[in-house]
Amino acid sequence: MEEFAREPCPWRIVDDCGGAFTMGAIGGGVFQAVKGFRNAPAGVAHRLKGSANAVRIRAPQIGGSFAVWGGLFSTIDCGLVRLRGKEDPWNSITSGALTGAVLAARSGPLTMVGSAMMGGILLALIEGFGILLTRYTAQQFQNPMPFTDDPSQLPPKNV
Amino acid sequence: MDNNSQGSGGFKGGLGSIFGGGAPEYSNTELAGVPLTGMSPLSPYLNVDPRYLVQDTDEFILPTGANKTRGRFELAFFTIGGSCMTGAALGAINGLRMGLKETRDMTWSKPRNVQILNMVTRQGGSWANSLGSVALLYSVFGVAIEKARGAEDDINTMAAGTLTGMLFKSASGLKGAARGGLLGLALSGAYAVYNNWDHLTGSSSSSRLY
Repeated sequence: MEEFAREPCPWRIVDDCGGAFTMGAIGGGVFQAVKGFRNAPAGVAHRLKGSANAVRIRAPQIGGSFAVWGGLFSTIDCGLVRLRGKEDPWNSITSGALTGAVLAARSGPLTMVGSAMMGGILLALIEGFGILLTRYTAQQFQNPMPFTDDPSQLPPKNV
Repeated sequence: MDNNSQGSGGFKGGLGSIFGGGAPEYSNTELAGVPLTGMSPLSPYLNVDPRYLVQDTDEFILPTGANKTRGRFELAFFTIGGSCMTGAALGAINGLRMGLKETRDMTWSKPRNVQILNMVTRQGGSWANSLGSVALLYSVFGVAIEKARGAEDDINTMAAGTLTGMLFKSASGLKGAARGGLLGLALSGAYAVYNNWDHLTGSSSSSRLY
């Protein structure tokens, strides 16, 4: 995977939007294919047709809502980077929570709080997992001690 | 290095003969980056062809074996996101137009605002979805064709465009699919021509080294 160097900030929004769209459309497409297959009337032709129709209609919509999430998240993330002048996990967690709150703004303050907590916890889990992974991989690259003292050359111990 | 044993004039002559006689060979733009320190535009100390010193093209240090541009897979997310956002913007404009047209005989009131706003959001969303899925299909086809053929050129672009158009319009019958494929072929062909315009017309404005 060479896809780990992230874009610099304003372009990151477009990149994240596209990534979220892809994820939503493909994941939702698989889900809807199964659902359409099962909900269609009996007969293989009917089932395949229903599956294809469900994917065609629903997958772009799911992708679109994912893309809104990703784009808003990345926008807030970039804004926080600009405001705070540093990039750390708190940025992601805050922007996850804010994104959840903003997208639930139509359905009242209580839902907003719940959605914000969901977003924040989800992002905290992702960031924490990333940090753990980094620690784990960093352990394997630790250098051994370059020089060890040769005991024969040390001055004799004062007993 | 038998050149060193000769006098300086002979050395200069030797250099000139190596580079095909000095001055008239190079145009002024090509020599713009070279400091002229003698009577001859080719300094005797300058042991390289000055054409390699012109620095008007971008030069990046790349790891050996790396491509000059980003590959299809690396650009895919950016393409998808870009077309999604473009679709949202275009759809919002279209929704505004439709909303204004549809509610023309209403007075400027709250219901009218709400109706226009609904139209804008709905059209923006649906345009963003369709353009985003077109870009997604195009990227998936492009990456798949590139991996299958093992080569990267404009044939990939045009084939991916055609397949995208056909699949996107496949719900509206064989004729619709053919029309969509033709449209995709035309669009991607236009893009390929635009991309290779310098190459096709044969006029390279900047001296490319590769």
